[in-house]
Amino acid sequence: MTAIVRTLDDVLIAPAHPGRGATQEYFLNMGPQHPIAHGSLRIILLLDGETIRKVIPVPGYVHRGIEKMCEHLNYRQIIHLTDRMDYLSALMNNWAVARTVEKAAGIEINDRIETIRTIMAELQRIQSHALWWGVLGMDLGAFTAFLYSFRDREIIGEIFEEIIGARLTMNYIQPGGVMYDITPDFADKVKKILSYMKRMVEEYDTLLSGNVILQERLRGVGILTQSRAISLGCTGPVLRASGFAYDLRKVEPYGAYEKAQFDVVVGTTGDCWDRYYVRIEEMRQSIRIIEQLIDDIPAGPTMVTKFNTKIKLPPGRYYNHVETARGVLGVFIYSDGGEKPYRLHFRSPSFNNMWAITEIAPGWRIADMIAIQSSLDLVIPDIDR
Amino acid sequence: MDFIYSMTTCTAAADVITLADRAAAAVDTNIWLSILYMVLALVGIGALTAVLGVVLIYAERKIAGHFQCRLGPMRVGPHGILQTVADTLKLLLKEDVVPASADKAMHFAAPLMSLMATVLVLGVIPYSPILQVTDVNIGILYVTAVSGLGVMGILLGGWSSNNKWSLVGGMRAAAQMISYEISATLSVLVMVLFAGTLSLSGIVQSQESGWWIWRAHGTGLVAFVIFIIASTAEINRTPFDIPEGESELTGGFHTEYSGLRFAFFFLSEFINMFAASAIAATLFLGGWMPFYIEGFETFNKITSLIPPALWFLGKTAFLIFIFMWFRWTFPRLRVDQLMRLEWKILLPIGFINLIAAAVIVLTKFYFFPV
Amino acid sequence: MTGQIKKEIRKVGLKDIPVAVVSPLKKAQSGLCALASLAKGMRLTFSYFRRPSKIVTQQYPENRATLKFPPRYRAMLKLIYEDNGYHRCTACGLCDKACPNGSIKVITRKGAATGRVELDRYIWRLDSCVMCNACVQACPFDALEMGHEFENAVYDRRLLVFNLNRYAGPPASVMLKTEESLRPAMMEKRDRYDGPVPLNGAQIPIVKPLISQEGGL
Repeated sequence: MTAIVRTLDDVLIAPAHPGRGATQEYFLNMGPQHPIAHGSLRIILLLDGETIRKVIPVPGYVHRGIEKMCEHLNYRQIIHLTDRMDYLSALMNNWAVARTVEKAAGIEINDRIETIRTIMAELQRIQSHALWWGVLGMDLGAFTAFLYSFRDREIIGEIFEEIIGARLTMNYIQPGGVMYDITPDFADKVKKILSYMKRMVEEYDTLLSGNVILQERLRGVGILTQSRAISLGCTGPVLRASGFAYDLRKVEPYGAYEKAQFDVVVGTTGDCWDRYYVRIEEMRQSIRIIEQLIDDIPAGPTMVTKFNTKIKLPPGRYYNHVETARGVLGVFIYSDGGEKPYRLHFRSPSFNNMWAITEIAPGWRIADMIAIQSSLDLVIPDIDR
Repeated sequence: MDFIYSMTTCTAAADVITLADRAAAAVDTNIWLSILYMVLALVGIGALTAVLGVVLIYAERKIAGHFQCRLGPMRVGPHGILQTVADTLKLLLKEDVVPASADKAMHFAAPLMSLMATVLVLGVIPYSPILQVTDVNIGILYVTAVSGLGVMGILLGGWSSNNKWSLVGGMRAAAQMISYEISATLSVLVMVLFAGTLSLSGIVQSQESGWWIWRAHGTGLVAFVIFIIASTAEINRTPFDIPEGESELTGGFHTEYSGLRFAFFFLSEFINMFAASAIAATLFLGGWMPFYIEGFETFNKITSLIPPALWFLGKTAFLIFIFMWFRWTFPRLRVDQLMRLEWKILLPIGFINLIAAAVIVLTKFYFFPV
Repeated sequence: MTGQIKKEIRKVGLKDIPVAVVSPLKKAQSGLCALASLAKGMRLTFSYFRRPSKIVTQQYPENRATLKFPPRYRAMLKLIYEDNGYHRCTACGLCDKACPNGSIKVITRKGAATGRVELDRYIWRLDSCVMCNACVQACPFDALEMGHEFENAVYDRRLLVFNLNRYAGPPASVMLKTEESLRPAMMEKRDRYDGPVPLNGAQIPIVKPLISQEGGL
């Protein structure tokens, strides 16, 4: 039975349960300030003892009005704002907007640009999954995992620093190409990184995946069935762990993904363990993709349009999407023919993934709630934009 | 007043003398000497607590750092040696924030109870033949009883803070600590069976011909493993640190404590770790008894050159390192998994172990002399 | 953990997708395997403990001398000065237009000697700049670069608004075409904190108050 909730007050009146040992449910705020909240997400839990009865996420604490700001900036200037949405897949966010603008404005880009974008995006995917792994370890009590994964992120961050100049807010993939060309020793450095990361993923398996305590924490917890995942609009590893092999890189290939052979990693039951191991395997698949692409990057210019030319989209509605580390990021632009979008909307993957908590958490305990939230890999600025 | 330790006859029962013994002996002859010994005992325990706090917290941070490919504290003093001093000063000078609706008396008493429980244990541990405050003849039973009081401190802290997070932490702690005391006691009983005495220095002296961990025919090793696991749960360390699970409950039962009172909780956690290691070292690893091998007199002479206090410290430090190693490697268990581990796994194994030990001791069915 | 993945081909829509299926964890590891997994984890962390060479952290203020930055690293914005001390900025204002949040203001003036528009003040706000590099890309004369000074913290926010040009005047290309003796007349010195007072009109000693000027803020 569902009750229509119009205000937060409706839910905040905790019903007592007479005749059930006289326990009373109580509210607990895993509030915006919390050691493990992966950003500022407020989650209201209705608890009965330690069991969760209801989960109410209250997003909005990191809302910065990015979509509104984009209405005042031209199509090149909106790229730097996308870095700050899902900052762990900043390059992929850039790519989403760049793709949309290029398709709409009819800008044709060459293979070199596509290959460089693909390699950078996959490097960032490895980096993002490494951070997710470390944070999951830290949330579940293994603090060392966090530091190991940050050490590995540094290695990838250094190559970003060399090519792009920035480590977090890249502003690299622009409509019409990429901002800087790769350096001559890029391929050697990336190959070293790949062999290092292969060893590190094995170490991640030793430290956490093989650990019986972690397996018991994640096994069978928070099952998200395939039909519910699709209904909720979950994408990315969350959807793939529930068994549905939907990966934009295979279903609607873009960039250089068609040139590389890789597997889409899929789970079976959709519990936390599946979501966990799908991401670990995705790291391995990303390494595989980069290995295939790094040796023959085609020659050519890296920027097809000059930086100061105005980009005008013909009037109309345009939508395009990429597969970021969290799921499908979609960019919708409604253009009225000018230099600036009339309306721009981001379909963010973490937003849909977040609402999955309301379905899968009730019935589990607080400790499982932590495991579920970590396994969903939410980045809060992506939810709030 | 023979404070010079005689190296060749350290194991003779007559040479073990505690401060309480000295005080008792001096009561008739010189009352002031007696009082001096008592004051020395108090000051000694206080100093030990303080020094242990400083050293252990610094060691924890440095060891954690090195496990994590980083250096740990490096700024305050050379290689960060004065870090704990700086931390203590900070905690002393911090504002003491007590929630307005907290139960004032309980809120005040909780950290004191926690600290008291651990410090009382320090009083009976035999650090060396001449360094022991008092040798209670029910030694290990006293230790088990008193460390149970630590649960009260945590429970009170969780309840009196008037904070849902703290309450959850306190309740979890109570369940956890009470359960794991049973396993700990079962493995302790195995050692008592073999040693034949409850008094701690008696147990140490019974390990003259070898430490119980290998001399007790396998039951000693099993008991040791169970005791280490149970102790990790008793002292609330990862993988059993759900009462203060930082990532889940902000701070668990000590969320609402700041300043010196938080320092007491913090200190009592580390002294608890030392006490658990010390008891494990005493029961299983021989306490201050050097490593002797029967029949190898020269070897025994060499090992007894190292002062027994250093043996004790070494063994305790090794066990403390093991505790820290556990903390920085493993994720934590969920509450029900923790309970299941205790009641369904450790307890049956502990019982079987105890029965086996009883059979071995009673029938004197030894494979090698015990 | 190998042996946990099964490969197969699945149909999604009209496409055949190669899929790696993660087998579910049906039951827990049994006693000895469980303990072995714990021991393996402990061995890994100990392997880092016993190798201090694996320490990756740096002791920051002490290692300033050996810090290395890649050439493209983006920190403070600078005008590039050639060896002769002249900048290359023609005050075209393209960087001003490219900056997404208005952190650059190019104030122009009419040069007394040349009669053409030239740079008067190049105001850059560190307090709002996001280091997106759009200005560097937009400049057609290669006059800007993002340098490597990253220790920019100040106690007073008003010190975060700079004048980036050392002199107000034509760029190097024009300067090199004129005679040496005429050059000093074309340049006017500008201080770093010569810009407008950014906040509330308050007076601080080293920042001159704003007086109305053409092209002013």
